[in-house]
Amino acid sequence: MKFLSSLRPRSDEGDFEREAVQHLGALLAVATRMTRNSTEAEDLVQDTLVKAMRARGQFEAGTNMRAWLLRILTNTFINRYRRGGLERAILEGPDADPLADGWVSASTMSAMRDPESVALRPVLEAEIREALDELPEEFRLAVVLADVEELSYREISDIMGCPIGTVMSRLHRGRRLLKARLYEHALGMGIVGPEPVVGEAEEPVNLAAYRAKRGAAR
Amino acid sequence: MTVPCRRSAALLEPFTDGELPTDKVVEVETHLADCSCCRESVELNRALKASLKRAVTEESAPSDEFARRIQRALAAEGKREAARSERREAADRGRPLAWRFIVPVAAAAGATLAWGAFEQQNKPQADERVLTSMATSTPGVTASLDEMIDEFVSHHAESQTPDVVEPSLVRKLEPEVGVPVRVPSLQQYGLRWEGASVVPVRQLNQRAASLRYSFDGHRVTLYVYNSTQFPLRATLEPRVVRNMPVYVGSRRGYSIAAVEKRGVGYAVATDLDDRESAELVVASLH
Repeated sequence: MKFLSSLRPRSDEGDFEREAVQHLGALLAVATRMTRNSTEAEDLVQDTLVKAMRARGQFEAGTNMRAWLLRILTNTFINRYRRGGLERAILEGPDADPLADGWVSASTMSAMRDPESVALRPVLEAEIREALDELPEEFRLAVVLADVEELSYREISDIMGCPIGTVMSRLHRGRRLLKARLYEHALGMGIVGPEPVVGEAEEPVNLAAYRAKRGAAR
Repeated sequence: MTVPCRRSAALLEPFTDGELPTDKVVEVETHLADCSCCRESVELNRALKASLKRAVTEESAPSDEFARRIQRALAAEGKREAARSERREAADRGRPLAWRFIVPVAAAAGATLAWGAFEQQNKPQADERVLTSMATSTPGVTASLDEMIDEFVSHHAESQTPDVVEPSLVRKLEPEVGVPVRVPSLQQYGLRWEGASVVPVRQLNQRAASLRYSFDGHRVTLYVYNSTQFPLRATLEPRVVRNMPVYVGSRRGYSIAAVEKRGVGYAVATDLDDRESAELVVASLH
């Protein structure tokens, strides 16, 4: 028995468990946003960690374990919930829409922030999860990986299996939709006033039209 | 130099994300100093980032209960892994051990592994559970059992024409012997089938079936008999081969190895060494 088991090192088992469990919070945060269901999120995290443990021989020591675990989580999510891959970005039309952020005036943008901290106004913060959950999965995943997990574009492109340019485009479009949603909310709350959209090429982000399209695509 | 808003706008998000190279960072910072709209845009991006992080992490902090569940799941997976590798090792051990039985069937690639199993098999066996059960079931030694072993060995030493050559007819010996008789497939170990006979064991007024094979110029005889009548284990030495209790001994230069299964005894007589005989008798059960 000694002879054969010496061929298979398994001393790393406990080390792996200890390190992997440190990323439990990150995995659960991403899983919750992707499944939008806490029970499914916990199942997804458990499956991810069990898979990772089986595949731990493939993990390259010294690289980012959190990013590696998130890649397994993403693939597990896609395989389980989206047999055909992440839902295609539904926003038809040119990805070449101007990257300009000048969708509202500087004063409106300022009004949406909390002057006390680097954050949105508390009333907008309350909306943020809901706004995030309405994003198409590809955008939502990119935003969560970049803004919540603070991964690099390179790491996100590895996890999502797409080029860095695509990551940037998904991030931009996801954030733009989020901001548009929060702006609508701020408008409803009377925090900001209505204003004409500036920039000649800039289409106003029309969330109602987007939702209608999204509903039609399902 | 101030860059136009449209150009810098494409850089604002990567700037907020810390993804710009140094020269571009300088370019953006220079522009921000002059452009309140882009400055506000960066501030809003930062606010959004910070709020997103807080909203998402606060909501889904793992509970202690969930952390324990994950630890249990990983521990269970660790056990399953250990069990899987145990099974693989057991399967490796399950190969025929004596090299002379391996060579005809196994390619050179398998030989190293089998050799490892062989080496390890020769060490004292740790399966004490099996050995203990063997030791406790030893009844009194009787002279007649020795006689039976002698009968087997004598019969083995003789070169007789078998009664039955056709393997499918061997089961017809069952009424004579009193237990089911079938021809185990031992070709994979390089054994060639020769034929079967009935052996009277006069002292005990019983009969056994003898199945004869040849192997590389050696004669191999497998006896099948009613083991409740002939508890060979009373006179032979217990040993564990592939987790099976085997009773091994030698007479007149022949080795004899016996196993019992569901009241049927199987004994092999050969002029090979006793380890090989033990291997063969276990192989004949599978």
